[in-house]
Amino acid sequence: MTRAPILGRFRHGYVAPAALLVAGLLYAPFVWTAYLSLTRYDGLAPPEWAGLANFAKLFDDPVLLTSAGNTLIWVAGTMVLPVGLGLLVAVLSYDLKGGAWYRVPFMLPYALSGAGLAMVWSPVLSHGGVANLLLGVDTAFLQEAPHNTIAMLLVWTWQQLGVNTLLFVVGLQSIPKAPIEAARIDGASGWRLFRYVIWPLMRPLTAVVVGLALVASLKTFDIVWVLTQGGPGRNSETLAVTMYKETFVASDYGYGSTVAVALTVVAGLASYLYLKRQVR
Amino acid sequence: MIRRAVLIVLGLIWLGPTYLLIVNASRPPESYDPARAWAPSADFALLDNFARAWESAGLGESLASTALYSVVSPALGVLIGALAGYTIVVLRLRHGFWWFLLLFGGTVFPSQMLLVPLFVGYSDAGLYDSRLGMILIYTAINVPLAAFVLRNFYSGVAFSVFEAARMDGASTWRIFWRIYLPLATSALAAVFILEFTFIWNDLIFGLTLTQTAEVRPVMTALAGLMTDVYAGTPVPVGLAAGLVVSLPTVVLFLATQRLFARGLSLGSV
Repeated sequence: MTRAPILGRFRHGYVAPAALLVAGLLYAPFVWTAYLSLTRYDGLAPPEWAGLANFAKLFDDPVLLTSAGNTLIWVAGTMVLPVGLGLLVAVLSYDLKGGAWYRVPFMLPYALSGAGLAMVWSPVLSHGGVANLLLGVDTAFLQEAPHNTIAMLLVWTWQQLGVNTLLFVVGLQSIPKAPIEAARIDGASGWRLFRYVIWPLMRPLTAVVVGLALVASLKTFDIVWVLTQGGPGRNSETLAVTMYKETFVASDYGYGSTVAVALTVVAGLASYLYLKRQVR
Repeated sequence: MIRRAVLIVLGLIWLGPTYLLIVNASRPPESYDPARAWAPSADFALLDNFARAWESAGLGESLASTALYSVVSPALGVLIGALAGYTIVVLRLRHGFWWFLLLFGGTVFPSQMLLVPLFVGYSDAGLYDSRLGMILIYTAINVPLAAFVLRNFYSGVAFSVFEAARMDGASTWRIFWRIYLPLATSALAAVFILEFTFIWNDLIFGLTLTQTAEVRPVMTALAGLMTDVYAGTPVPVGLAAGLVVSLPTVVLFLATQRLFARGLSLGSV
C-alpha cells in the first residue's frame, strides 16, 4: 500500500473494461456452452439435464462420422497442399535472383477475402462451368462427395499458398548462413543440403506455420458454408458446419453445443500433442 | 534451371484463375459464356459491374455496417487492451500476471463455443440484430490480442518515464493518455490492422447474430446472396462483387505495410 500514491489508487478500474468484456462475452459463453452440451435444449423451453446423452449420440451419428471424415481431409489436405506446396515454392525461390517475382502469382489470390473467394470460384466449379469445359469432364464438382471437399480444398490452396510461402521465405532468409556455406564446401547440395542442413535449421518456424494451419483447418467453416453450405444433403460438412447446422438449422441447441465441445476438445488435444512433440 | 521451370509452371497454374477473374469481372454482364470465358472482352465494363454489384446485391448497406464494425471495434478494443496492458505493467497491478493470463486466455476459445449463449443471451437482452451487439462482441474478441501486444510493448519502456511524469504531478490517466498511448502508435496500428481484417472477413458472428440488411456485415450478406446472385445477376457482376468486398483489406494492408512490420516487431520485444 505504500506504493499506492505513485501508482494511483484506481488501478482495478483501468483493467475493468477489458476484464468485463472478456469475462462476459468470451468466458461466460464458453462455460455456458459446456453446460448446455449436457442438456436437452431447443432455445425456447429451459434446458433440461440430459447427462451424457448428447455425447453418446455423438458416437453413433452418421452425419458426425461424415463431417469428422471431411474435417480429417481438410486437416491432412492443408498439411500437404497449402503448407507443403508453400514450403516447396519457398525453398525453390528464396535464394534465386528475382525470386520475389516468381512468387507474385501466388500472392495475388490472397487479396480475395472470405466470401469474395467463393463468389469467384462458384461459376468455375458449377455444373457446365469453366472447370468442366477445361477438363473435358461432366462432373459436378460441388455436388458429389468427396469431390466437393477436394475441390474446396484446392480453392483454399489457391488462396492460401502465398501466405505460407511468404512465412517460409522469411524463415529461410533469416537462418544463419554459416552452416549452409560449410555444408556446401563439404560437398552437400540439392536434396541432401535441404534435408540435413536447411530443414533442421528452419524447424522452429515450420513448427509455428504447421501449428497455426493445424488449428485453423480443424475449424474450417467459411469456405464450406459459402460454397456448399455443407451439402448437398450433408455430405461436405465439416465439424464446424455440423455444429452450426445442428444448432441454428435443426434448433437442437444441446446437441449443437456438444459438437462445439467435441471440436474444442479435438483442437485442444491436437495442439497439445503437437506442441509436446515439438518441444521434446 | 529446373527450379525456375517448376516455379514458372506452378505460377502459370496459379495465374489462370486470377486471369479468369479479371477478364470476366470486366466483361459486360450479359455476354458471359463459360465456353468463351478465356477470351478477353472488347468492352471494358469493370466499373459498371462494380456499380451494379453495389446496387443489385444491396451491398451498400452491409458495407456501411461492416465499415462501422471494423473501425469502431478494433479502435475500442485496442484502447481497452492498451489500458489493461498499461495497468498491468506500468501501474504494477497486484497479481498482474494472472490478470494478463485471464485476458489472454480469451483467445483460445473457438468461436463455435460462443455462438449458442451469445445468440440466446443477445435475444434476451435485445441485442440480437443490433449494431451495438455486433460492436460489443467484436470489441471483446479484440481485447486479448491488444492486451498481449501492448503488455509486451510497455514492458520495454523504462519505468523512469512514468516516474518523471508522476513527479511532475500528472495523474495516472493523463500519463496513459498523453504519454503511453502515443508512444505505442505503431504497435496499436499493427493490432488495429489485424483486427480490422478479421472483422471485415468475419462470417460466422454475422450469420448467428444478425438478420436485417442494415445490421448484417458484408461477408454474411454476400454469402446469403450467393444463390440469388447467380440465379438473378450475371456472373461478371458476382465477380465484381467479390472484388469490391476484398478491396478495403488489400488497400489498408498495402498502405500500412511498413507500419505494420514495425509494429509487430516492436510488439514482440
